[in-house]
Amino acid sequence: MLTFFLRRVAQTAPMLIVVSLVVFALIHAAPGGPLALYLDNPNVRPQDIERLRRQMGLDRPLAMQYVAWAAAFVRGEWGYSYADGRPVMDRLLERVPATLQLVGISTVLALAVSLVVGLVSAVQRGIDRVATVGAVAGISLPVFWLGLVLQLVFANLLGWLPSSGRMTFTGGGAIDRMAHLVLPVVVLAAAHAAGWSRYLRGSLREVLAQPFISAARARGVSERQLVTRHALRNALLPFATVVLLDASIMASGAVVTESVFAWPGVGSLFTEALAKRDYTVLMAFLMCGAIAVATLSLVADVAVHVLDPRTREPS
Amino acid sequence: MRRLVLGMFLSLVACTKGTAGASNDLLIVGYDREPDTMNRYATHILEDIQTCVVEGLVTTDEKMNVVPMLAASLPTLANGGVVLRKDGGMDVTWKLRPNVRWHDGHPHTSADVKFTADAMIKGDWKPESTDGFDRIASVDTPDALTAVVHYKEAYAPYLLQFLRGTLPRHQLEGRDIDKATDYNRSPLGTGPYRVAEWKTGEYVLLERVPHYWRGDAYPRIEKILFRFVTNATTRINQLKTGEVHLVALVPWDKVREIRTLPGIRLNQVLGNGYEHVTLNEKHFPPFADVRVRRALAHAIDRDLLVRSILDGLVSTVNGPIQPLSWAYEPNVATYEFNPATSNALLDGAGWMRGADGKRRKDGKPLAFTLITQAGFTIRENVAQAIQRELADVGVDMQIKLLDGTAISPVWFSGAFDAMLHWWQSGADPEITTFFAADKTPPAGRNIDYLNDAALTTLLYESDRTVDQTKRRELLQRAQRRVGELVPELYLYNTSKIDAVPTTLRNFKGNPSNAGPFWNVYEWEITAK
Amino acid sequence: MITRAPPSRRGTLAAATVLVILLIVAAAAPIVAPYGMDVLDLARRRGAPSLHHWFGTDELGRDVLTRILFGARVSLAIGLVSAGLSAAIGVTVGAMAGYAGGVLDAVCMRFTDAMLSVPRLPLLMIAAAVLDPGVTLLILLVGAVGWMEMARVVRADVQSIAVRDFVTAARAAGARSPRILLHHVLPGVLPTASVALTLAVGRGILIESALSFFGVGVQPPTASWGNMLYQAQTTMSSQPWLGVFPGAFIFVTVLCCNVLGDSIAQRSTAGR
Repeated sequence: MLTFFLRRVAQTAPMLIVVSLVVFALIHAAPGGPLALYLDNPNVRPQDIERLRRQMGLDRPLAMQYVAWAAAFVRGEWGYSYADGRPVMDRLLERVPATLQLVGISTVLALAVSLVVGLVSAVQRGIDRVATVGAVAGISLPVFWLGLVLQLVFANLLGWLPSSGRMTFTGGGAIDRMAHLVLPVVVLAAAHAAGWSRYLRGSLREVLAQPFISAARARGVSERQLVTRHALRNALLPFATVVLLDASIMASGAVVTESVFAWPGVGSLFTEALAKRDYTVLMAFLMCGAIAVATLSLVADVAVHVLDPRTREPS
Repeated sequence: MRRLVLGMFLSLVACTKGTAGASNDLLIVGYDREPDTMNRYATHILEDIQTCVVEGLVTTDEKMNVVPMLAASLPTLANGGVVLRKDGGMDVTWKLRPNVRWHDGHPHTSADVKFTADAMIKGDWKPESTDGFDRIASVDTPDALTAVVHYKEAYAPYLLQFLRGTLPRHQLEGRDIDKATDYNRSPLGTGPYRVAEWKTGEYVLLERVPHYWRGDAYPRIEKILFRFVTNATTRINQLKTGEVHLVALVPWDKVREIRTLPGIRLNQVLGNGYEHVTLNEKHFPPFADVRVRRALAHAIDRDLLVRSILDGLVSTVNGPIQPLSWAYEPNVATYEFNPATSNALLDGAGWMRGADGKRRKDGKPLAFTLITQAGFTIRENVAQAIQRELADVGVDMQIKLLDGTAISPVWFSGAFDAMLHWWQSGADPEITTFFAADKTPPAGRNIDYLNDAALTTLLYESDRTVDQTKRRELLQRAQRRVGELVPELYLYNTSKIDAVPTTLRNFKGNPSNAGPFWNVYEWEITAK
Repeated sequence: MITRAPPSRRGTLAAATVLVILLIVAAAAPIVAPYGMDVLDLARRRGAPSLHHWFGTDELGRDVLTRILFGARVSLAIGLVSAGLSAAIGVTVGAMAGYAGGVLDAVCMRFTDAMLSVPRLPLLMIAAAVLDPGVTLLILLVGAVGWMEMARVVRADVQSIAVRDFVTAARAAGARSPRILLHHVLPGVLPTASVALTLAVGRGILIESALSFFGVGVQPPTASWGNMLYQAQTTMSSQPWLGVFPGAFIFVTVLCCNVLGDSIAQRSTAGR
């Protein structure tokens, strides 16, 4: 068990180095750079550009820049934002709560919906038809499109909900914050609820078709107990794995949703940083994303390893 | 359970309905981007938020006149404030307004002016541009309210030297200004507002200072909140729902949606920028032939573009200096839409139509690529319309869209044929950097790669001419020369349109980069 | 007794028919489209749907239906080709890893994990900004980030097939690995892979639209469903037809792909 865990961790480290190399090369290959925006002002002269380039350390060879960055990153010094000169760590951390709130609530909502829908549609054919249509529609909608349409309907036409942002400055209060959460959470949760409920329904059905269920049924166990006790218990583990592994897709969804709803989270920080080629912020964002996803996948693997003896490797 | 959810939903609805309108207690501004720093000298975006806090010695008003702010008066040759020295240099004497205090109570003095100039000359931090300051030899402070700026050479735009304000000496002296986070996040100023809170990614909240130097009656509005909403559609939605009260610089393609909104007024001023197609003679040599340039100008129906794609929100222009400037010259050569003239010019230049209708000369097609910024709907549409119109006279133009930061290095290196874009200049009519022969990148912004000796001479002479009447004459001659050469295809003026509450009084807008907040101290919300 | 819902034949048939029609119409766009792809008519801008322009006209007076038909070529090409690319990579990596096991398996799967761990859309946005977006490039990019799920499921399938009797028998009979892979293992993987493939088509179309939403996708004047939506978002409330129709086409196409994928999955498990 411990060796499995350690080996798995050891495998993660080189993976992250590969990721960092790829991402670093990619970002620095992008045309433009932190200095590009300065050029638009006709009063910025070549001597200004040269001075700024030197001061930002952008005149050094790329390999040196990478080594310097990596060494500092590991030590927890993530450098300063090229855009506003503040520490990258601060810029990221101040955005994390908003994203965690959005993603967290969306995940809970998506989980709740998919558990209920998945369970019911595994056993009720009538509901299954409806759920199938709903779920397939859910995963087929472009996220930003859903966001814009909901905004149009609920904020512009009906005026029931605020169109964007995290809170009204004047209103304030818990209810106001909740009102601002409704649309982005629904948009972000929709696709996942659809996908997860389909998955759960599938694995439930698979379990229900197995001989030990028939045996249990023959023993007179009620249908309800069959589903909740036996089938669900067996289907839950692969379901949890899928949910954990979906984290990186959730991150992508957050980037879109935060942009549509002007949600002040990490995702909108990324969009801003990309537009300004804020190298340090981009690197930190992608690395944190990769580390987070890698950790979740590690957790998923270890959980499966511990709970499901069948996957244990013979070694 | 279901009833509970429904009940919660209804109470949410009830609470969000009553978004308050603009009042003298609070004005909410929907702003397109978050500032990088509050330091006006270091920021590279518009300084709207900063101008509410940090005041310049002068500012420019809605007609682009230079008006004094912290200066008591404007130094000119006539009033003796400007003296041309025998050695070719000049001295500018700034008289400061008395009884102006920094927000912390320290008096604002000539020592602050000197400190600012010294910090800019030294440049051991990250000011955006040190233009003009590098011509200053030194600053003297004979008394607390007099600063004498000694220039090494005659410098015509001297009046705008301290447009961005002064740095507080008593706070910043001896410090690394880049690392002075206290100042860069919440600058000490003399203006009507100070930064109460900057919630990164969400908003900057300004609150009025108790004793503004114009009197305790100013400013009228208690708090101004700048909410950052990058996505233009979202920003306009928030204006519709009343979540923001004012949107500065409404994108032109959004104006139609706002026009009918109750309680919102559109304030439009002629802008100081001009949309045009840069023709890069170096990268695409056929542009070096003036007949080709004139032919292209004749091929574009600017009136149609303005009437249709731009909904008549802008007006066509014929040169690089705009009507609001004191140096504007209206009598320049114009090139009205006339495909026949265009065809004749191209035939005359040796570009003959082939069987496919496309023009060739010596086997080479008259084909080039126009670059423009992605994500700018109007521009994408204008580019496609121009593509169509040029095709009608046998010119093959491809379009390539580049994102905001990707496009700058491309034009700065001169590696493009043509570009659709605008220049947004300050209030001073200097155009040397755009047209002087030796101002090609990296030295300047002459990305037409125009090389005209007569024009270059005129422009440099105008830069050295401090007397405004004489400088105007030189610049008007320069504009006429530009009109003949037509180094770039002039399209239309960049009107500045702001959406403001109908109840907001004294909002005047601003054509230049000084921005519409220049007179925020006198804004007031009145009952209808 | 709970029975598996039989795959709705009508639904499957309908989905397949819609997709085939779309493909034909897209291929024949220059013939069937009512107008030319970039014919401007500035006098008839922002026209609401009418008899002459079924789906209305856009900001430049171009026929929206025409642009949707031409856009279908781009969007479908991106969806189909990128999915094919993903499938090729995914099946290769998955089959290799699953069959060979050991070090090769570990290396392949850790690389797959690495690719999975970087948030996909941000990575694509950066890559598209770096590499000057064009249709070919978008296909490559979308394909290059879409193979990992495929590799995982294929590997799992291969692992389970590789220990079955007929494979061990073949191996005992002296068949060489490539032959076993090709003749015995891959056919077994086919159902899973084809499900993943159909789903990938839909996902590719969605990714294209998301990239275009951020302005780094297909560039005008070339039309794609995604960039039509991107341009429509500025006028959502005043000219909804500019957004409704391309959005509907994306939705219907992805929907059909997913329905098809579902029914293949059900059929193959039912037949097992």
